[in-house]
Amino acid sequence: MMGIVSYGTYIPRWRVKLADIARAWKKNESEIVTSLGISEKSVPGVDEDAVTIALESGFRAIQTSSCRPSAIEALFVGSESHPYAVNPTSTIIGELLGIGNSYLAADLEFACKAATAGMQAIAGLIESKHIQYGLAIGADTAQSKPHDALEYTSAAAGVAYLLGNHGAIANLLSYTSYSSDTPDFWRRDGIRYPSHAGRFTGEPAYFAHVMGAAHGLLHKTTCKPEDINYCVFHMPNTKFPRDVAKRLGFTHSQLVPSLTVDAIGNPYSASSLLGLASVLDQAKPGDKIFMVSYGSGAGSDAFLWEVTDKIVSHQATRRKNKDTVKDQLQNKTYIDYVGYLKQTHKI
Amino acid sequence: MLGKTGVIRSWTVIRLPPADFGYQAPYPVVIVSLDGGESIVAQLVDFDEKHLSIGQRVVTVVRRTVQTGIDDVIPYGIKVKPL
Amino acid sequence: MNIYIIGAATTKFGELWGVSPRRLAHQAVTDALSDAEMKPSGIEALFVGNMLSGMLGGQEHLGAFFAEELGLSVPAFKIEGACASGGLALHNAVNSVLSGQYRTVAVLGVEKMTDHKPEDVAAALMGAGSEGERLSGATFPGLYALIARVHMATYGTTEKELASVAVKNHYHASLNPNAQFHAPVTIEQVLKSPCVADPLKLLDCSPISDGAAAVIITSDPSASLRAGKKAVEIIASVAATDSLGLAQRVSLTKLQATETAGKNAYQKAGIEPKDIDVAEVHDCFSIAEILAMEDLGFYKKGNAASVVSRGETTLGIARRLVVNPSGGLKGCGHPVGATGVKQVVELVDQLLGRSGKRQVDGAKIGLAHNVGGSGATATVHILKI
Repeated sequence: MMGIVSYGTYIPRWRVKLADIARAWKKNESEIVTSLGISEKSVPGVDEDAVTIALESGFRAIQTSSCRPSAIEALFVGSESHPYAVNPTSTIIGELLGIGNSYLAADLEFACKAATAGMQAIAGLIESKHIQYGLAIGADTAQSKPHDALEYTSAAAGVAYLLGNHGAIANLLSYTSYSSDTPDFWRRDGIRYPSHAGRFTGEPAYFAHVMGAAHGLLHKTTCKPEDINYCVFHMPNTKFPRDVAKRLGFTHSQLVPSLTVDAIGNPYSASSLLGLASVLDQAKPGDKIFMVSYGSGAGSDAFLWEVTDKIVSHQATRRKNKDTVKDQLQNKTYIDYVGYLKQTHKI
Repeated sequence: MLGKTGVIRSWTVIRLPPADFGYQAPYPVVIVSLDGGESIVAQLVDFDEKHLSIGQRVVTVVRRTVQTGIDDVIPYGIKVKPL
Repeated sequence: MNIYIIGAATTKFGELWGVSPRRLAHQAVTDALSDAEMKPSGIEALFVGNMLSGMLGGQEHLGAFFAEELGLSVPAFKIEGACASGGLALHNAVNSVLSGQYRTVAVLGVEKMTDHKPEDVAAALMGAGSEGERLSGATFPGLYALIARVHMATYGTTEKELASVAVKNHYHASLNPNAQFHAPVTIEQVLKSPCVADPLKLLDCSPISDGAAAVIITSDPSASLRAGKKAVEIIASVAATDSLGLAQRVSLTKLQATETAGKNAYQKAGIEPKDIDVAEVHDCFSIAEILAMEDLGFYKKGNAASVVSRGETTLGIARRLVVNPSGGLKGCGHPVGATGVKQVVELVDQLLGRSGKRQVDGAKIGLAHNVGGSGATATVHILKI
């Protein structure tokens, strides 16, 4: 049975307060913070990008496993902020991680679900016995136009999952995917900032696809929410994941450990991956985790994981290194709005 | 070169940057004696004031380095951050 | 075989907005020739010291360039070693004469830097260091700041003591009509000047300058019409190399290349550091002069800072060695390729007793010390009358 052998997470230390953004645009600070449910978001350093962030998380995933880099035979990186339109992020990372040359590398794009698509593809490669280990990374330095609503939530982070055919800390019991042509959020080639269709990003987009994939997986596995210990959903804001969890029949306590959005906003391709990591940092052997990502355009990938007893030592290592999601959420330094504009290269 | 640890031998903060580092200034540059024996010069990132000191332990990371033209290959290089 | 300097001259150093490299070279060489009472046809080869003509001016091949400009159809060479280009040009010229291939050659150090954006000049100067330094954004002041930091931590050298180097050299420069700066500066002014790379401030750093200097050297003293007049002799010309990058040095508080070149030079000249009456050392930054004084064996490691601070190397106060009577790089200016040659011109003037207000009385033996980069190259020339 294949599953997650190890994972690594990286959140840049910089935070900008939503109140500072609101103040710059003469909006009501407390209104913004209350309605969005977040007070700050993560910001990349001026010399960081999706490549460096993906590399950090991939490095940590490999460090916490006993897997040699050269044993990795597939490396997929999903991002909306690949620095190149043509030139793979994945091979820069493969090179710097010392994977060698005998591997399949690919860059994926599908809004916020690029990396989970990569996980399903790697799952297939492993299950078909084509490879033994594959690394899937989701990393973003999410861009948003100044003064646009997205400016309050677009964040930065990277998460890497090393998947393998044995020794998993969480087995992949089942997975499905749900796709359709639904342009709720897009960015044209050569254009710097994304555009979105306002309220259209809700029901017909996020909810239709997350629920479509979720129902598909629940049906396929004949599972019910009460059989499951944790649920993780893509988190574009604090409302949507809470809403969809309720509508699918999950309780708030099943969802809460995954809600990294509350602390740092939405790091796009790393969002659901980070939520999953946050859960894995505290899950117990035997726990089942239900995870559904969402990518605009649109689609959702759903996964059912079952935690094994190997998770215990993995958790201990991450705790020892002070590298848990909680540690990284708490390791923060505030910058002001001007600092945010400088570090995201807007000025 | 990733994840290598070492100790700061000397440090400075560059306040007058060259043309291709303008966007990052001011920034500290340090000489690090790596635990393997080699010495390197690198920018220090993700630091607090107190980390600017001889003897501070650091670890290597990969970041963007010089600023290049919009259609050039992006240069990545080794920097260090405090442990 | 003895090598004599029969002609020596510099242009003014400074922000010479209206003067081209051609005119600078012309002036320096013409004045050196007239000092030697010699015709251009007496020159058998031309050695040009310069660093930035290519990167900033798009012009390489300076040997041919200046040979044509000066009307000299002779073998001509550009020698480059960052800020040691001038010293290296002279060293190569000396070797060419010692080889017997030529008898009389000209050495021209020239640099034009002020026509460019300071960020571009800073970036070009980083060509003197290693790739690792360039990719880390380590500017020149940054590299010497790294040295200063360790010197301060190890020997207790203070920022005030560093500032005293600048104060001394500005005072000397105020007595030098060719110097870039003529106003003296105070310790307060240095300490209050904006920080360039901690702990070095603007006034700890030599400026960006234009200028040229030239010497005519010969193995045949009768080549000059003033045969019979006393000529200054080069009794040692030595070069040494160390690692290109600062991080690869064994010590961060000593320039090994300086120490090696100095030791070899003293040995060749058959003298000791205490025999030097006047020295022109490479004070690209205040800390560099302190290192030079120690590495050239004038003072023990860690002791030079307080010596400068007490004025013991200042004109008028010093009882033995005077350092940088020209004003050094700090006060006189630092047109990179010209400096190594200008140092020798200053020593020639001192040894011939024609330094006017900045004369070091009774100077008989002088030492010129020129460094490239953060210490990857060093040249030492010892002159005697």
